[in-house]
Amino acid sequence: MCSFARNFKRSTPLFVMFLGSVRMLLDKQPSGELARTHLYFFVTDYLTDFKTGKRIQFPSFRECLREQGTVQMLTISRDMAIEIQSLVTLLGSLCGGITMCNSLILFEDLLVSTTLSPDDTANLSNYGVMRLTPHALSSTSSSWSYVRMSKSASNVSVVSGSPNAVLATSHGSWHTSRDTAPGEEPRIANVPRPLQRDKWTKGVDGFLLNDGWVTSSGPGNPAVWLQHTEERLYLCVYQYKSLTLILLIPLSSLVNGEQDIPLVKKQLLDNASQKIVNIEEKLSRGWGGENAYHVSGYRYLLVDGDRNVSRASPAAKVNTLSKDSLLALNKLREEVDIEKARSKLDNPEHEKDFEACIRARNNAWVIAKVSRGKELYMALEKASETLLYASDAMEKFSDR
Amino acid sequence: MKERRTPSVLKRVLLNCASEAKEYGRCIVERVPEIEKDMCSKEFQALRACMQKVTTMLQRSYRDQSQVVISGSGALSHVYIQQPPWRCSIPETQGIYYDDGNKLLLSPSSDQVLSWKIASYAQHDPPSSDLFSEGPVLSIRYSLDRKVIGIQRSNNEIQFKNRETGATFSRRCKPESESILGFFWTDCPSCDIIFVKTSGIDLLSYEAELNTLRLVEAKRFNVSWYVYTHESRMVLLASGMQCTTFFGYQFSSGGIVRLPKFEMSMVKTEANQKRVLAVEDVHIVTIYGRIYSLQHDKAGMVLNMYRFYRDAVVHQGSLPTYSSRVAVSVVDNVLLVHQIDAKVVIIYDLFHDSLAPVSAPLPLRLRGSSGNLRQGVQLEDNLTSSYSATIYGDKWTFLVPDLIFDVDHGLLWKINLDLDGIAASSSDITSLLEFLQCRKSDPTKSKLLCLEIMRSIILERRPVSAVSMAMDVLVASFSHFVKFGAVSQGGADRRASETDQSSSVQPMETPSRLCTDSMSGMMNSGDLLKQEFLNRAETNAQQRMMVENELSNDATTSVIAGAQALSFSGSDSDTNLETRTSVPEKYDNSVTEARRSIEGERGAETSDVKREEPALQTEGLYRAVEPCISNYLGSQFSTSAISPDEMYHFVFAIIEDEMGGDPSYLVSILVEYLRSACKEKLKVQPNLHVMMIQLLARSNRFSELGLFVINKILEPSKEVALQLCESGHQNLQTRKLGLDMLRHLSLHHDYVDLLLQDGHYLEALRYARRHKVITVRPSLFLEAALSTDDSQQLAAVLRFFSDFTPGFKSTAEKERYHQVLAELS
Repeated sequence: MCSFARNFKRSTPLFVMFLGSVRMLLDKQPSGELARTHLYFFVTDYLTDFKTGKRIQFPSFRECLREQGTVQMLTISRDMAIEIQSLVTLLGSLCGGITMCNSLILFEDLLVSTTLSPDDTANLSNYGVMRLTPHALSSTSSSWSYVRMSKSASNVSVVSGSPNAVLATSHGSWHTSRDTAPGEEPRIANVPRPLQRDKWTKGVDGFLLNDGWVTSSGPGNPAVWLQHTEERLYLCVYQYKSLTLILLIPLSSLVNGEQDIPLVKKQLLDNASQKIVNIEEKLSRGWGGENAYHVSGYRYLLVDGDRNVSRASPAAKVNTLSKDSLLALNKLREEVDIEKARSKLDNPEHEKDFEACIRARNNAWVIAKVSRGKELYMALEKASETLLYASDAMEKFSDR
Repeated sequence: MKERRTPSVLKRVLLNCASEAKEYGRCIVERVPEIEKDMCSKEFQALRACMQKVTTMLQRSYRDQSQVVISGSGALSHVYIQQPPWRCSIPETQGIYYDDGNKLLLSPSSDQVLSWKIASYAQHDPPSSDLFSEGPVLSIRYSLDRKVIGIQRSNNEIQFKNRETGATFSRRCKPESESILGFFWTDCPSCDIIFVKTSGIDLLSYEAELNTLRLVEAKRFNVSWYVYTHESRMVLLASGMQCTTFFGYQFSSGGIVRLPKFEMSMVKTEANQKRVLAVEDVHIVTIYGRIYSLQHDKAGMVLNMYRFYRDAVVHQGSLPTYSSRVAVSVVDNVLLVHQIDAKVVIIYDLFHDSLAPVSAPLPLRLRGSSGNLRQGVQLEDNLTSSYSATIYGDKWTFLVPDLIFDVDHGLLWKINLDLDGIAASSSDITSLLEFLQCRKSDPTKSKLLCLEIMRSIILERRPVSAVSMAMDVLVASFSHFVKFGAVSQGGADRRASETDQSSSVQPMETPSRLCTDSMSGMMNSGDLLKQEFLNRAETNAQQRMMVENELSNDATTSVIAGAQALSFSGSDSDTNLETRTSVPEKYDNSVTEARRSIEGERGAETSDVKREEPALQTEGLYRAVEPCISNYLGSQFSTSAISPDEMYHFVFAIIEDEMGGDPSYLVSILVEYLRSACKEKLKVQPNLHVMMIQLLARSNRFSELGLFVINKILEPSKEVALQLCESGHQNLQTRKLGLDMLRHLSLHHDYVDLLLQDGHYLEALRYARRHKVITVRPSLFLEAALSTDDSQQLAAVLRFFSDFTPGFKSTAEKERYHQVLAELS
């Protein structure tokens, strides 16, 4: 259940982002009714992502080369980056006035550009991957890509039948639970449910609409709170093929409030669509697909804790590792986490650097290296006998 | 500008002082008709004070404005002729003739011919003279080698004199069947002189030994009149009832090109009256190396434009005219159409085949000689009033390509473009910059204007897209200059002709001899250039040398690229003669340009010094910067293309000081500039990246800064890395990025140094060991270890140095820390 707790904890920032902190809700209504309803819907919606059949499936040791809550970034060339930055400038100017509005751009499930702080970026892009990307829109099942991958790998053996069957049942079970839920609970209609499935649809103009979004004053535009800012920001999502643009429009920049949002949308279509088309075309041409970040011979996870960014071997490749290696790696990661927590308690300012190479039962090398805020984990099954070799291989990898 | 300002000043004064004016008016009305001295003086004083206040205020604001926008040149005009003119009034002459082949102004008197070289307009040489027998003169032309002088005596006789031997001879035609319309010398390989007669043209060659002409070839057809310019080497022969059927030949040193016969169109008038095209209605002009013919259709009030290709004549459209008399000049590849009756000039830039005028029609202006602006204006007024009777006078002759000769007064004027005026009157920034970038006659001026326009549109906070388009123009122009530097116009021309609608059609033939000459010249100077780089590099620090090597590589590649382009065009022979002849000069430009970019660093230093001067208030700024720029630019270059260096030093660096406040706009502009530069594969100044880091850090946009670094939008360099570390004092992640960049750049010493500064002495030690960094003093490590108060660590570090650094054991440092260690433990 530990993993359940950890997983659950991860949903908190999303809750805060969309609904505000629980404390704030309690301030609003001290009886706690409001907070409770919010939490209820939010958690149920959140858990649907992990439902397979009647069971809730959580990441197992097979996900040890994953770091949840981090963002995966798309690597782009310099000229591409400049072009995208130029688009970001354009998007920023759409809000009018002096303040630039923030934006976040995703390509498939990968982050391309952001103007938000690392934490906000992680939250919003995770939400984007869950609900907004073309994949999330088209698939009726979970869109946590790694959960999906592992599920299809692990569940095929557990539940006999094709993965599709599993997905179908999950979908069905959700419908029943959603239909029954409001009946059981005291009816409070005006609760926004950001994680409710199948509510986002793509309009003909390319903008995503959430028809089920309600606020305390009836249907409205989805809006979020960012960390460290007190202002509420409207979420405006535009999608062109694989490219998803999330524009955050501050309430204060709109003279007539929500009525001005169509205006901003029109401006975006008028000024930016050509750029967006160009960028999408170039990105899809240059993208290596699912296995783009595979490094042959290595199964790795690289986490940049400062920026909440991670990069890992593709899930399909990780699944080729033997169970022993994965278990060993899992164990190592637990140890590292404990060590990290301890050093953080000892000296929060100073980051501790350390590395460990461990020989697993099946003679694979399992390696962890923490250095200056970056963590690298890898499993080398084909590495030869000596530690020196393993450490060399790691050096070689680090220098890439 | 001044004239335009006047009414609005009055209006604003009256608006601002309305109440005072009303008071005064009421007072007067009450007392009239009793008039006395000092009546209503109180009201009058109030009105006067108010007016004075408003005018000074307005003046100040205008001054500021004109400084920021464009320093206007006083009066509004875009074409001017400069005082003093070139005078050649000699009494008792029989008229003045212009020999465009040799750029000579010729004046025959009773027994001699006086000739002035006007190739260099500024120089005023005394005329040289040739004795010649008396007689009527219809035209005079020197041979191109100046050995023979030819004078047309009548319509059937031309007299020649060898200037070396003094021998004369004449050539006549059959007076009963034909008459001579004129003649001209040519550098065509098969003949030396062409006679144009009513029965066709004779191609003759001059036999020096026999001192006679030999007929090479005769082409027979009826000719009514002809037009020839040496510049285009082209003759157009008019025939037919209305003189609208044309035969054309180009006699260039590459050979003879015969143009297909073509018709010029004229609007039909209702009456049966047949209009005849006159010789003064047809002009040949050479623009950007392309040859055009302009035909003025008086009835239709249009100027029809035809472009000549090797095997076709294409009608390109027509320009409207507003006068029954029209003259045409070409100044710096800009077409000027003088509407003589209306006394205005309309200017066109045909580079992009656009037939829209560059700016509104404005009068030709007579500009006084130098002096400060106000004096100049006054002087001008006097001059204009004294000369106004003759501006576009009847006796003005327009000489090819850009001269005006006043026959009555014997004055010769050169037409100049007033780039200031054009810049001030044009509102379309993008096309204005395109126009300015194409101007070669005064590159310093157009460059300064471009820089100023750039600065002002950014300071005015024009929309990012507009600024971005403007920057695209400048960057594309520079990149084009780098790529085709040596053959800049030829290249452009080729490109243009490729994209032309009639792309199969090629322009005229050109001499290959010239081409090879200039190519070998280029190679030589290329070597020289390299040599210079190497010499310099030896005397410089290592890093500097690296930079320069890179530059010299760039320069040589550009030379090679230029040479290739040239040889390509040589084999292709699709460029025009005029562009070819200008090749060596252009190449010089690119040499100086390359040198200049090397010296950019030095220039940067001086400009930095300038910038730090106290006169940095808004008003003083331009005055402080402007002379600096002119000095810097004036000494060593001759192109209007703006390099990334200049873009940084004269636009962004200055603007950054000025803008202050919210830097996000400037960041957007810089990103757009990077996009522009990246598109053209140009390297930008490293300082630009540094500036971006500062701007982003100032506005606390660290996460974006990180993204910029990771995506290499900010190109890694030592400066960038150190700036990241510095800005990272407020943000640890940014500092780490800086350190990582140092490591990636293998700047081991700096990396170890900074690690030590941050207290990561063990990692620094490990790194120093691995990368053999021995330049960092051991005491720094020891100091860092000591500061942890951990004797074990200190001992380890001490041991490390004792073991791995030869000679460390005998240093005083070892002793000292050994002692410290002993005390600690």
